[in-house]
Amino acid sequence: MEPGLLKNSDWPLLIDLYFFLGGLAGGAFVIATIANLLDARRYRDIVRVGYYIAFLAILPGPLFLVADLGLPTRFLHMVMVSKPSLEIGMNAFTVGPFHLKLLSPMNAGAWALLGFSVLAFLAALDVFLEDRGGRSMSTLRVVAGVIGGFFGFFIAAYPGVLLGATARPLFISAHWLGALFLAVGASTGGAAIALILSLLGGQARESLSRLMRFTVFALILQLAALVLFIVAVQTAGSTGIGQALAQLLSGPYSLTFWLGAVVVGILVPLALQLAGGIKKAAPAMTALVSALILIGGFLVKYVIIAVGQAT
Amino acid sequence: MARTLAMFTDVSLCIGCRACQVACKQWNQLAPEEPEWTGTYQNHAHFTDKSYRLVRFFEETDDKGQMKQWHMMSDVCKHCAQAGCLEACPTGAIYRTEYGTVNINQDICNGCRYCVSACPFGVVAFNHDTGTATKCTFCNDRIHNGLGPACAKACPTESIRFGFRDELAVKAKQRVGELKKQGYKDAQLYGEDQGGALGGLNAFFLLLGKPAIYGLPEKPKLPQRNVIADSLLSIGSAVLVGLGALLAFRDRPGKAGA
Repeated sequence: MEPGLLKNSDWPLLIDLYFFLGGLAGGAFVIATIANLLDARRYRDIVRVGYYIAFLAILPGPLFLVADLGLPTRFLHMVMVSKPSLEIGMNAFTVGPFHLKLLSPMNAGAWALLGFSVLAFLAALDVFLEDRGGRSMSTLRVVAGVIGGFFGFFIAAYPGVLLGATARPLFISAHWLGALFLAVGASTGGAAIALILSLLGGQARESLSRLMRFTVFALILQLAALVLFIVAVQTAGSTGIGQALAQLLSGPYSLTFWLGAVVVGILVPLALQLAGGIKKAAPAMTALVSALILIGGFLVKYVIIAVGQAT
Repeated sequence: MARTLAMFTDVSLCIGCRACQVACKQWNQLAPEEPEWTGTYQNHAHFTDKSYRLVRFFEETDDKGQMKQWHMMSDVCKHCAQAGCLEACPTGAIYRTEYGTVNINQDICNGCRYCVSACPFGVVAFNHDTGTATKCTFCNDRIHNGLGPACAKACPTESIRFGFRDELAVKAKQRVGELKKQGYKDAQLYGEDQGGALGGLNAFFLLLGKPAIYGLPEKPKLPQRNVIADSLLSIGSAVLVGLGALLAFRDRPGKAGA
């Protein structure tokens, strides 16, 4: 097929930023929840910072999405319309003015964003009240944390599934984008918490080292998903793919991909972390490694979206 | 649901006059656009928010690069039985009419542009003036008043025909038989088979050669077919992340030294 036949959505950098911050928020939330469930007292710093970051990172997301719409005043149409049409797709459900389209990741994502935002707010509020000297409503935190954790996974992964459900040659044969984006969410979520903790310079050396152990694990998962993504695209062999892969691996985007996403974002942090010994968790080194992971996490999403839209 | 309507475009009859393109613009009140040089008589290169019908021109070359045949084809939204744009639309603005056609409700569309990249044929275009997505409506207003689409009405050679899908399919198959007898051995229907790709196209075509000659995908795929597999892989990734976090944060007395 002539790849030139297809059109692209021209999603601007704002959408990449939302995908990055959403993944980071989801990852940080999941980490905070698991740490809270395992030992709320020992991991208090991780839980606090994790829930705060999740809330602050998701906060601008809806604003970015609304600003990008052709008609921002109609943003609510993502989940509800006053007079819905009858036939709006397979696996579509309408209840009153609300609609859920299971095969439209953008619609499902809008619902998940709504749910995640509410739960991220509740978790952050609970932490905030505790910080102000009040008592934590631990049941609320556990419930909001667990349900919000599932939403957090969803928020991190769905942009990849959303891209995979387009006709763009790079995306339609990728299959691993959701898994990759989720791993990036986990690594950047962990890195964001670690960065803040190391800058705050608390006494939580041991929990910080455990956090870095998790982040390194997520980074390895990220690398594996990235390799699987490229292999899947390469073996798909559909027309237009060759050009897309060439742009990514050896064309104008290759520097951003290899140097930014792979070397700076994955290999250098892994090498520094493994060489330095995860357990030590020296604050300066942790801050550096975390910053690199965050930069790489943004670039890997940015470069894949840019190439997929351009080719 | 009413009986499914369809358009049948027979490229063997197309003379490239673009009366369909003009009629479409007139009926749908689509504004004029700056012409663009595409290297052929084709104008524009792609469907736009102001061109819902587009006559494409293709020069087929042989193995030595010599001109073999000149093809003309009046292209349009395929109104797929399984439509990528319709499934992608998060607002429900894109809907299926009782006639089986696919339409965009301009009062609901919020301009997210997901449908633009979800169309396997690059049909849907974004209108920057209205902030909404647009495409061929199958002349929704006309077919609800007993008229055929403006393009089919204007076509002087009956290259574009309008009618009930089942009746058109019979005629289309007969026409392929005739053309094969005349020596066009590669004549074939594109999108007529309701058991085929995308559940069949409600605007289907008779082509004189392989779809690739006309820039059409051989086997168009519904992008949403990926959703379940991609989601399962994401769930796998989520399970690994969860396990990783459990392992990293679980208490291991004596090892980590709390």
